[in-house]
Amino acid sequence: MIEQLRETCRRLLDEGSVQVIIGYGDSLPGKPARPLFIRKSEDVDQLTWGPHCLPNLTAYLKRKEVKALGNAAVIVKGCDEKALVVLTKESQVDRASLHVIGMACDGVCAPKCAGCKMRTPRFADEVIGTPSDAEPKAGTRPVTLEDLMAKTPAERWDFWKGEFARCVKCYACRQVCPLCYCERCIADKNRPQEILTSASLTGNFAWHIARAFHLAARCVECGECTRACPAGIPLALLNRALAEQTEESFGYQPGMDPDAEPVFGSWKATDKETFIR
Amino acid sequence: MSAIIHESGLRTLIDGWLASGKLVAAPVEVSGRVLYQRLKSSGEAILESRERPANSIKQFLFPRHQALFRYRLNGKQVELVDSADDTREQIIVAARPCDAASLPVLDHIFNCDCKDAGFDEARQRTTVIALACNSHDEACFCTSVGLGPSSEAGADALLVDLGDSEFEVRVLTDKGRKLFEGRTEPGTREAPALEGPPRKFDAGAVRQFLANGFDNPLWGEESVGCLGCGVCTYTCPVCHCFDMVDEGNAAGGERVRNWDSCQFQMFTQHASGHNPRATQSQRQRQRIYHKFSIYPERFGALLCTGCGNCARNCPAGLGVLRLLEKIDSRVRQQHV
Repeated sequence: MIEQLRETCRRLLDEGSVQVIIGYGDSLPGKPARPLFIRKSEDVDQLTWGPHCLPNLTAYLKRKEVKALGNAAVIVKGCDEKALVVLTKESQVDRASLHVIGMACDGVCAPKCAGCKMRTPRFADEVIGTPSDAEPKAGTRPVTLEDLMAKTPAERWDFWKGEFARCVKCYACRQVCPLCYCERCIADKNRPQEILTSASLTGNFAWHIARAFHLAARCVECGECTRACPAGIPLALLNRALAEQTEESFGYQPGMDPDAEPVFGSWKATDKETFIR
Repeated sequence: MSAIIHESGLRTLIDGWLASGKLVAAPVEVSGRVLYQRLKSSGEAILESRERPANSIKQFLFPRHQALFRYRLNGKQVELVDSADDTREQIIVAARPCDAASLPVLDHIFNCDCKDAGFDEARQRTTVIALACNSHDEACFCTSVGLGPSSEAGADALLVDLGDSEFEVRVLTDKGRKLFEGRTEPGTREAPALEGPPRKFDAGAVRQFLANGFDNPLWGEESVGCLGCGVCTYTCPVCHCFDMVDEGNAAGGERVRNWDSCQFQMFTQHASGHNPRATQSQRQRQRIYHKFSIYPERFGALLCTGCGNCARNCPAGLGVLRLLEKIDSRVRQQHV
């Protein structure tokens, strides 16, 4: 599989249709793979593939340093690809000028991998490999949404107070998110300062609630926010809660159907709220 | 003869400190990670060096969010109110030597052009009991920056794990002596020779590169993957940049000091809209220059203790170590 991937990337670079491959390279032993930006075909042997390829590389499509490298080919897993669906829908990615290499995936040991049904990317320009028959390699969640929802609202509040008490506001959750692409985040706006810059409990609640709400009906639950958090805060749980609401209220799952109209980008006469009629 | 304390004796001591109202911090396990946290009881403390905490001890002396003073507004009257700081004595237990060593480094910063009363006061009421490392991981590089697994810099006492739940206690300062006096037993067991991580780069070669390396294409090539978050700076024991803001409403508020990071685009953004460090590669370059050129020129030491947290915690697998290794190999190949 890795040879086929390298061969594909070599071909793309030699043909000149893409100038940069956004792929995975080996990092420190036992650590997740790191993003690699291959611009010369002789460097494709640095590309790696395996259960350590956790990062969602579509997060780099928003970065101007990456855009400056030219037309890109990005390596995606079936789950990462859902972000591309949303980014395309939100006019953030020109799908026609982006080459997508899909990797058949046997799991990357993340909680999201349990019971994964996206092991073969659906919309990639080419897919490499076929998933094995074995169950995907998955990780476990220390806390699930079901655990949380079984608590009383006061207990849930205490849970988040405890978690947010560790937040240092490094904004790794934002930077690693493929769908947090605002050129100036609301957290960085200071005329007026909408969100306290302080990593106090108030400031942390304000930030995490704003982050979750701005991703409501958009988040594809790639889990990168939780992975990136140096304080081990299970941030993706907030997004999971809102995803459940979105599905329940609108029957919409972000990133699943490229033809479905996004909840925030569309209006229907059958919407149950009356205030806009 | 050396001074020995049993792990159970150490835990009893910790509980005694807590009972007498002292603040005690140590590595604890939270959400599957090891983090330095304030203890509620000694049972939480991890008194072995198997995994380096993902954060640092700087938070106990230089909090990520600190009120400097409060104010009340009454018409045109402004009333200043002292911030209600917790000024209890604090003890940090099982700090890694790469964390303890951060304190003398921070002392220079917080006393260079003016004396930072808050930091100095916290430093004065803090005692650091370091724990020598008998293991290291791939991100550790203390030996490349002049430190090692049993470095004593910044510590008031150093514990060395002798196995069988016993520690040798090396008292280094009066503060350390005060905590352990009469609490240890004489012993003859020899502390094992501790092996640090292999040397990964030559700090001298890095200095040499930086002298003419400001416009080297390496910065752009090696930092494309940087996402611009603050993980490396906020989990670094010696990164110390901060921002001051007023937070309040028409009735009053407070002036606070918050951590800030050179990796944020907003860090150098001018009100005019101009940003002197407009790209992430410039911000990465700044971090390396500050640590391995600017601070050393000013204070004669490195602004890095080799803890490896930047590499360990980076969601993109970067960190200073990778860049320094690249620089080192370029100098070796004389492709500067």
